[in-house]
Amino acid sequence: MSESIMKEIIKKILPAVVLLSFGSCREVLEPPPVDLLVDDLVLRGPDDMEPVRIGLYNAVRGLGSTTVFAGDFTPDFIQNNGTFTDFNELGTKSITPANSLTRTLWGAVYNTVYIANFIEENLDELSRVSQAEKDDLLAQARFCRAYAYFIAVHTFGDVPKVVNTDVQTNRNIARAPKSEILTWVKEDYEAALTLLPERWDPDNATLNKQFATKNAVRAALARYHLYEGDWQSAEEMANAVINNRLQSLDSSYVTVISTEFDSESIFELAYANSSSDDPGTSTTGLNNILVGRREVIPSNSYVQEIVNVNAGTRRATITFNTSNQQGRDNGWTVTKYGTPDQGNNNISVFRLAEMYLIRAEARAQLNRITGTSGALADVNVLRRRAKAPLAAFATQAAALSTIETERLYELSFEGHRWFDLKRTGRINAVMTIFSSRWNEKYNLWPIPQAEIQTNRLLVQNTGY
Amino acid sequence: MNKNITFLSGTLVLIFFCSLELMAQLRPVRGKVTLAGDGNPIPGVSILLKGSGTGTTTDLEGNYTLDVPPGANVIVYSFIGLETQEINVGQGRSTVNVIMEESKMELSQVVVTGYHELQRRDIIGSISSIRSDKFKDLPVSGFDQALQGQAAGVQVTQSSGTPGGGIAIRIRGNTSISASNRPLFIVDGTPVFDGSITGRDFGGQNDNSLAVVNPNDIANIEVLKDASAKAIYGSRGANGVVIITTKRGKNNKTTITADVQRGIVELVGRPRLMNSSQLVELQREAVLAAGKNPDEMGLIAGVTDLVDTDWISEVLRRGILQQYQLSASGGTEKTRFYFSGNVRDEEGVQLNSRFTRYTGALNLDHTVNHRLKFGANINVSLTDNDRVKGDNFLDGVYSGAIKSLPYYSPYDESGRLYVPNDPNYAEFPNFNPVAQALLPRFKTYGLKILAGANMDVSLAKDLKLRSKVSMDYNNAEEDQYEPATTAIGGYLESVGGKGYGVYSSFTLYTLTNSNVLTYYKNVDERHRFNVLLGNEIIHTQSRESSVSGRMFPSVQFTYLNSAGIIDQGGSSYAQSGLVSFFGELKYDFKDKYLIGGTIRTDGSSRFGKNRRFGYFPSLSGGWRISEEPFLEGARFVDDLKLRASYGFTGNERIGSFQYLGTWAAAVYNGNTGVGPNRLPNSNLQWERTNEANVGIDVALFDNRLRVTADVYRNLTDKLLYAEPIPLTTGYGSIQGNIGSVSNKGIELSISSDNFTGDLKWSTDFNITQNINKVETLANSDTLYRGYSGSGVGSTNAVLEGQPLGTFWGLNFLGVDPATGDALYEDVNGDGRISTKDGQVIGNAQPKFYGGLTNRFSYKGFDLSVFFHFMYGNKVLNFTNTALVNTGEDIDNNQSVIALRRWKKEGDITDVPRYEMGNTYNNYHSSRFLEDGSFLRLKNVALGYNLPAHWLSKIKLQSARVFVSGTNLWTLTRYSGVDPEVSTLDGSTTAQGIDFYTLPQVKTIQGGFTLTF
Repeated sequence: MSESIMKEIIKKILPAVVLLSFGSCREVLEPPPVDLLVDDLVLRGPDDMEPVRIGLYNAVRGLGSTTVFAGDFTPDFIQNNGTFTDFNELGTKSITPANSLTRTLWGAVYNTVYIANFIEENLDELSRVSQAEKDDLLAQARFCRAYAYFIAVHTFGDVPKVVNTDVQTNRNIARAPKSEILTWVKEDYEAALTLLPERWDPDNATLNKQFATKNAVRAALARYHLYEGDWQSAEEMANAVINNRLQSLDSSYVTVISTEFDSESIFELAYANSSSDDPGTSTTGLNNILVGRREVIPSNSYVQEIVNVNAGTRRATITFNTSNQQGRDNGWTVTKYGTPDQGNNNISVFRLAEMYLIRAEARAQLNRITGTSGALADVNVLRRRAKAPLAAFATQAAALSTIETERLYELSFEGHRWFDLKRTGRINAVMTIFSSRWNEKYNLWPIPQAEIQTNRLLVQNTGY
Repeated sequence: MNKNITFLSGTLVLIFFCSLELMAQLRPVRGKVTLAGDGNPIPGVSILLKGSGTGTTTDLEGNYTLDVPPGANVIVYSFIGLETQEINVGQGRSTVNVIMEESKMELSQVVVTGYHELQRRDIIGSISSIRSDKFKDLPVSGFDQALQGQAAGVQVTQSSGTPGGGIAIRIRGNTSISASNRPLFIVDGTPVFDGSITGRDFGGQNDNSLAVVNPNDIANIEVLKDASAKAIYGSRGANGVVIITTKRGKNNKTTITADVQRGIVELVGRPRLMNSSQLVELQREAVLAAGKNPDEMGLIAGVTDLVDTDWISEVLRRGILQQYQLSASGGTEKTRFYFSGNVRDEEGVQLNSRFTRYTGALNLDHTVNHRLKFGANINVSLTDNDRVKGDNFLDGVYSGAIKSLPYYSPYDESGRLYVPNDPNYAEFPNFNPVAQALLPRFKTYGLKILAGANMDVSLAKDLKLRSKVSMDYNNAEEDQYEPATTAIGGYLESVGGKGYGVYSSFTLYTLTNSNVLTYYKNVDERHRFNVLLGNEIIHTQSRESSVSGRMFPSVQFTYLNSAGIIDQGGSSYAQSGLVSFFGELKYDFKDKYLIGGTIRTDGSSRFGKNRRFGYFPSLSGGWRISEEPFLEGARFVDDLKLRASYGFTGNERIGSFQYLGTWAAAVYNGNTGVGPNRLPNSNLQWERTNEANVGIDVALFDNRLRVTADVYRNLTDKLLYAEPIPLTTGYGSIQGNIGSVSNKGIELSISSDNFTGDLKWSTDFNITQNINKVETLANSDTLYRGYSGSGVGSTNAVLEGQPLGTFWGLNFLGVDPATGDALYEDVNGDGRISTKDGQVIGNAQPKFYGGLTNRFSYKGFDLSVFFHFMYGNKVLNFTNTALVNTGEDIDNNQSVIALRRWKKEGDITDVPRYEMGNTYNNYHSSRFLEDGSFLRLKNVALGYNLPAHWLSKIKLQSARVFVSGTNLWTLTRYSGVDPEVSTLDGSTTAQGIDFYTLPQVKTIQGGFTLTF
């Protein structure tokens, strides 16, 4: 190679190399984010409404399985049958603050609250959106927030009242009294009741059941008043749902278990079928825990109750397989939640049968036992559907006792038992018979360890 | 950016002017410089007139002409890597031909530091060099393994005996809690990706992308340890830098080398478990203690235990390791080459596991003329990894075999495997681990291409430019299928039901361009200057995709084309980049006083505008005391150098876009929306380590004893850390720069040539003490890491004043002889044991570690014996939470340790009583923490070089046969199989946990090397 070529190289290639290096600088240093949305762009225009609404329901869906863990696994319905410490603690009645399920539920509550608060704060920023559309979104936000707090106070007792999205404020925040939270829950529910539509689309059951409607709020308020012992209001709300006939009882209980968006469903937390939109094999997947891994199985005492003739077809809540029966395993499996393929992976929050049971209990408490507007009539609506012998009771005590068992038949593994036993004051009586390890402290779940560690103002529940 | 251009070009101009020189007309001395041995000419030899600044270099043919003034008569010939010669040319000689020899002394050997090369004696930083002959007989699959025990300050932990599995390397301790603690690896100037490429978790044991570089192609490895050596790598330097130089051709006749190695592989040991009768007796005792009837549960002595399967033996085998390599190197004056092809095949000790690698390397150097040179290197590697599920998997093979109940069998009477739904199949949580090994397909195919081209231009005398463009391309494809006859593929309907298949692909590649100007100036042969200026752009992109499906027609259909349901799939893309400028100035006066300074500025795409650029300077100084007049009398001192350095390095290795507040995709019933993802932190920035180092290098008695000692103190602050915040904020954490970690330590390396006659004996010894401590944390909060520990939260904790890798738990005080229950320390004195009684129970960091190698040779024989040791580290035998579980779960086998369980009042023992379902006695406590110190005979190798007079008859240059053994003997008090394991591969905060982890393997192999 001659000297002149050398000079060419030095003159031309060298500056080119240097220039090339600098030219690509911006491209290398400032790549655009992929598959992410920067905060400021989340809720700005009409196109942003639906994505945020989906995000809201995605968050509240986190309460689906965790409410079942709290409501059905904490009391006497299950025994542990697997290897996960979290479920073993629930099974052996030795739940600790380190149990990650407590944090999952807590997180689902505050995740929902965050998005609801975010919607509330950013609604004014939305341009090119009508007031009616804003109201729809806000009403759903308030409904979801209220439901989350309702589950939170009945699980943990007093909890922090988070009213905005300010990180500094909510980092160190003390527990607010349960009563204060419940007042807010009522306000939210009542506001939502005014603003929400009766249906989103008259012809689309999926939309009307996967998103909150007026009936969902009425059902929530019926349950709210029942828990508060306001029998009159509870009856009134349940009555309203039953009477407006937007929902009707499924003809067979098997349909309740195997079908999504069935006619009696009021509000359910929905997972898509034959799709990856399902908790799958995670610890929060109900099918995984109950059927796949059988981490928990129905307790012997529960099995004895549900196979009772009075349960009728509701016995289909569980199934038996001889090959499972060995060692401590009684061979029974809870089959209320299917895989995505089976098309019943949704988690029911409110359905019409509960309204009958709420109305029956409220009426029993109001000492209206028999007759067309008595408790007995409502109980027998469900007995008839279950093809079980009709109930017959005449006293208030007998009515309440029957309703307690009826709730077991009808609503077990839908997140009710623990809350029911607590509000009726029967928890310690029932649980001390079930397990020698039961302790009154288990009337509340512990505040998650990680929250106590990061929030100095949080105080643990007594006994933990 | 413009400013930087001006700065660069300004410096360029300056350097040009500096190189102008005055010449004088004087007596010419001519000659030719050639290499001893092959007699080839050596171009580029530095020729200096002693005592003046006058000098020249040889041309391509090795010829030179030097004008010698009257009075001067000593010429110094020096070339990197060759023995320097001084020749008195007297007054009359006009032709001086010189034959130069390759340097025998380590001090003259070439060390690649950062972006250029130096002689060992000129180094001021702390650098350990490992030459390929140190690991030539080790059956290692990757060079990272080869570093173990070879260099002070370098801690290498192999996570398990899985072939091609993960390895943790730490240089001077852990600096980071959440960003990567792996050093930066540079192969032939190209930063290479380390760690696991595949995204799918494989039971704690990841793949290792460094295992795809063939160690036999490596010429040497340098480990840069202190700030002065590595600050030139700026934001990537905090964890140390490992520089690998591969073999290149020399200017001589072609040499062909053939290597053959073959050996057998076995586990270093096996766990000792109960047989059927022992287990049934224990289970009955546990069931009775819980007030239940064992007969009803089918636990009947003499009936249940009729079958007795040794599951460990059923899933293990003796593996075979083989390696074949052919390489050629050579060249002409203008073009030199190195070429190699290699096949390595390791049949693992677990049934059905195998790691096969094919590599090819080609290095080329071409000299156009004395001003222009080109070089290229290409290194291609294909791997084919047959894996089996590892530890941390419920249905893992080795883990499953440990747990499996001995009264089940893998095969029925006709030799058919038991599979789900067979009557004698051990139902969940048990399964058939033999079927788990044999039936699924877990293949990982790897492809790595490392390629680079460089151009060296001599712009002026002593001013050189090197431009380099390189690529590191990594691809991994995972092909997995679990048929209906396996635990996942058949048992879990939600996953498989009728088979489960996954296919995924990961690609990650980095393009690097660097341009480096170097200038060397020697004034009066007293003042020597080395200047370096450069810039570098690194751009990394990654892509991945994955698809999974289930419901296959039958076990004959195994690819996703036949899946009834394709239910999950995804793809993603990410990129990140660094734009950097750096400079270095080194000066020494008469080889006696040395100072150096470096600075690098890095711009990273990982940080927001506010903190995008970081600056990383360092300063260092050295004093060669041996050159001082007062040591002239001390003839036995060949070299004595004191050195010190101070500087800053960084760590940027976190994910992208962590500084932005973002929302990500969220779904609800198949509809897609957005949900909160991350809180913003626009001030997010680098982790910064400030490092101080003082060291001494000594060479005594004709270089027969060489000692290097270093003391260092490093403090890393602004730790990249996702600070946990209460969920009441709507988020679980916020990414910040919080907390600091310190590492203080002492390193000592001693090498000696004890005998140098016919019988040669040399010793290399190194020992390191590193004290790691978490200095500060956000709000002084303790962080809990590792596994969840029954009754106490977590197995590990990060807390102020303690090292990373601290174990957390209850303090086990023993077993109450009266009740048989465990006694734990009630720390808060509230009369009961709760999570509040958790405390620090030990840590995984060793007090010291090191290696000792002795080499002997006599006539044609050579023997090397290499010990590796670690002292004072604790290992968490988490396996025993299942194997000595005091009856918490009776569905798995127990260790023979449980034979000494408490049985009746008055028993004095350390194993609590067994009661089915009792969790209290099995709380996570110091009962499971053990001393993990060990001394291991890592390698012993015996070789024989066949005498030359035999070989010359068959036209062979040399021939060597050898046998070697690895991990043959271990001294430890650890009760598990192997203390040298870590189930959470690569973890910093939860290292040293043995949780069904496959122990290391021992290897015995033999082979030969022929050179033509």
